[in-house]
Amino acid sequence: MRDELRTFRYAAWLGWQMEANWTQPWFFLIYTVAKPIAGTLILVVMYLVVQSSVLNDPTFFAYMYVGNAFYMYVAQVLFGIVMVIHEDREHYQTLKQIYIAPISFYTYIIGRATCKIVLTTIAIFITLVFGVQALDLSLDLGQVDWGLLAISMLLGLLCICMIGIALAGISFLTARHGMGINEGIAGMFYLFCGVVFPITVLPGWGQAVGHVIPITYWLEIVRRALLPGMDISSVSGLQDYSSTEIFVLLAVSSALFLVLSIGIFRYADHLARKKGKLDMTTTY
Amino acid sequence: MVQAIEAKALTRVFGNKKGKGPLIALENVDLNVAEGELFGLLGPNGAGKTTFIKILATLLLPSFGEVKVLGHDVVLEAQKIRPRINMVSGGETSGYGLLTVKENLWMFSQFYGIPGKEAKRRIDEMLATFGLEDKANAKVRTISTGQRQKMNVVRGFVTDPDLIFLDEPTLGLDVNASIAIRNYIRHWVKDTTGKTVLLTTHYMAEADFLCDRVAIIDQGRILACDTPANLRRSVRRASIFTLATTPFDGITGLGGLPGVSGFESTTSEGRVEMRFSLEDESVIADIVSFVTARRAKVLSVSKGEPTLEDVFIQLVGRALG
Amino acid sequence: MIDWKLNYRALLGRAYPRIIGASREPSWMLFDIVLPLLGIAAFIYYYRAMGAPEVFTGFVVLGGVMTAFWLNVLWSMATQFYWEKETGNLQLYMLAPMSRMAVLGGMAVGGIFFTTIRAASTFILGFLVFGVQLQVSNLGGLVATFCLTLFALYGMGMMFSSLYMLYGRGAWHLSNLLQEPIYLVSGIYFPVKQLGFWTALTASVIPITLGLDAMRQLMFASPSVQGFLPVEVEALVLAALAVLFLIGARYSLRYMEYLGKREGRLTMRWQ
Repeated sequence: MRDELRTFRYAAWLGWQMEANWTQPWFFLIYTVAKPIAGTLILVVMYLVVQSSVLNDPTFFAYMYVGNAFYMYVAQVLFGIVMVIHEDREHYQTLKQIYIAPISFYTYIIGRATCKIVLTTIAIFITLVFGVQALDLSLDLGQVDWGLLAISMLLGLLCICMIGIALAGISFLTARHGMGINEGIAGMFYLFCGVVFPITVLPGWGQAVGHVIPITYWLEIVRRALLPGMDISSVSGLQDYSSTEIFVLLAVSSALFLVLSIGIFRYADHLARKKGKLDMTTTY
Repeated sequence: MVQAIEAKALTRVFGNKKGKGPLIALENVDLNVAEGELFGLLGPNGAGKTTFIKILATLLLPSFGEVKVLGHDVVLEAQKIRPRINMVSGGETSGYGLLTVKENLWMFSQFYGIPGKEAKRRIDEMLATFGLEDKANAKVRTISTGQRQKMNVVRGFVTDPDLIFLDEPTLGLDVNASIAIRNYIRHWVKDTTGKTVLLTTHYMAEADFLCDRVAIIDQGRILACDTPANLRRSVRRASIFTLATTPFDGITGLGGLPGVSGFESTTSEGRVEMRFSLEDESVIADIVSFVTARRAKVLSVSKGEPTLEDVFIQLVGRALG
Repeated sequence: MIDWKLNYRALLGRAYPRIIGASREPSWMLFDIVLPLLGIAAFIYYYRAMGAPEVFTGFVVLGGVMTAFWLNVLWSMATQFYWEKETGNLQLYMLAPMSRMAVLGGMAVGGIFFTTIRAASTFILGFLVFGVQLQVSNLGGLVATFCLTLFALYGMGMMFSSLYMLYGRGAWHLSNLLQEPIYLVSGIYFPVKQLGFWTALTASVIPITLGLDAMRQLMFASPSVQGFLPVEVEALVLAALAVLFLIGARYSLRYMEYLGKREGRLTMRWQ
């Protein structure tokens, strides 16, 4: 256990160095804040182009805004994990040394991802504050179900990390295609998980895919916890499920993804070792 | 005589590091290398060799002083220098892993505007010279470190430069490969006109074998510059002795004995090998007394001719590396 | 005196690894084409969930097409010097007599191959799956505007790449930082006029802003298009930007290289 904690601690420290030691703290703060706010504003402007005002459909706006804010965890953690593999392998060329070290590679990946989680939490907080202050987002801190939020965050982040581990395994085998992997994988969740629109808008097969992915339930339960005064479920189409049922679906689908992810990672790891890809360079 | 390299009062200073002040990587370096010369630059790690090469290769500006390469100023006329130079570094990881050896070499040849057919001819010829023809179509990411270094050397010569900078070119190569490369370098300079090589190396034997002249650099300053023979003669007034003993305490005290101008030792498997540069032969007796007083057994004593390594130790005060 | 033969060979030489790399590592087809289409589809469904007019689907598809080129400029060209520096190739490029713009041009030309495939896939998706309705009023003008946008965009990318002569991770993070704000202010998925006149005017310095706006006006006959400026004016500005950026790239590459050599950061890894 001590070894795991030590690995986690130093991986997290390394993740922090990689993220932050390239610039002054004030610029790093701007960087951490500006990017997510700009991403959110794209959706806000798209909303306003159609609806003219937030107040025209505050429930849908809240659905979209909160979903997009928390989706940052998915995008940033997955991106961060893919970059860990590709950068360690091709840029710093340290992957093979870390790989053969007597540490748990899962712990190492999660440690490196931890910094992303912390920074994204700050970004989400700022995004939500911005939404409340500048965009009339109907989020009342006094009404938030903190207990439900906390437990769903824990499970959701664990699930995201598990998906990240599967992606890390796949990254062992893929070339460094720049931002393509991040954009692609995150895009898949963006489409099927009801991030900015309800999955009921998708065709039947798309909805079926969404119902299998834990992120769908995680976002639903986060919305219910943060916006208990709003009828979010009428937008998401999950009104037939109670919060407990949603939570159980999240837990079950997360467990399935846990098994799947570890399986994918182990198989990809085996293939990478068999094909000698752990220290390949693919930049072109 | 036409000079391939002319450096006058060359100084390079790197900016202030936190709490440490500026770093003077090169200080008042005056050095000329004639066209057709195979010139060696020796120095410990951090001496300024690579900094010097980067300035000559137009990758770094001098802070002060004047530097000309092939008659052109490195600051004002870099574009006139570049078509005529190339550089190979030890342990280079340049190129693209996805491409084959031949493709990588072709790509770099195109950056010098070499017509396709001519590039192919040179590449095939050089791959054969360095024994890489069976790896010509292997992807770079599949070849060994030594093979990759050979490829790097081919990359440097395939553009047929007038001046080439070789920064530890035989690093990571086996004995046969190193010999092949040294022979090629020698042949390239000696059997063609107008070709010059500036070589840095940690292998004294390599410098001794290859170089017409050698400069020894340490902490950014040139300590000596002459032919290897003259440099060796310069330490002849010192006697070189090699002493082997069993291990004993207080070995570092030997360096401080009167008459000992240079000392280095290595210990392995119950045996200590020591090499002394002595101002007078009689000092050896004091050394033996010192050793036996510490209950060590003298296993062998021999007197040797000074090598470049001895020159280096005497000038720099320590062994290379 | 520009050695056109040398620079032409250098351009081809650098384009080669890109083209060959794409065929030897086909995983890009999944990660750079198939999966990004999902992101495009998400934005289309977002508009549909809000009951937006169908022409907005076309906006998203067009935005997706141009995003492919923008990402190629940003990540496969502008930031490429960063990767070249880290792998040790940059110093060999700087040592060689070719023009830096030839190297960047080679990267751009090599990248155009799979970028075009991605853009075309997005376009086809729009047609076949989402039923985008086009009403092209001037095909020649549309092609000309598209080409001008690309020239200006790639010129801007070359200017941006000069930062990497001096900086390392800082410049990479700057590229990363600019991605979403540029999507926002250039109106990738919506008419830029919605951002207000002064914001749209300021954003016009980014070629993709006016390029998209002009192409929307030429491809969709709908009051929702809300062109910012007349197409002819936008085309003229794009032409001017193309010239300015390409000239600017030449000088900025030279200047940043000089700074990098002066400070000793041209070949410094892991900055």
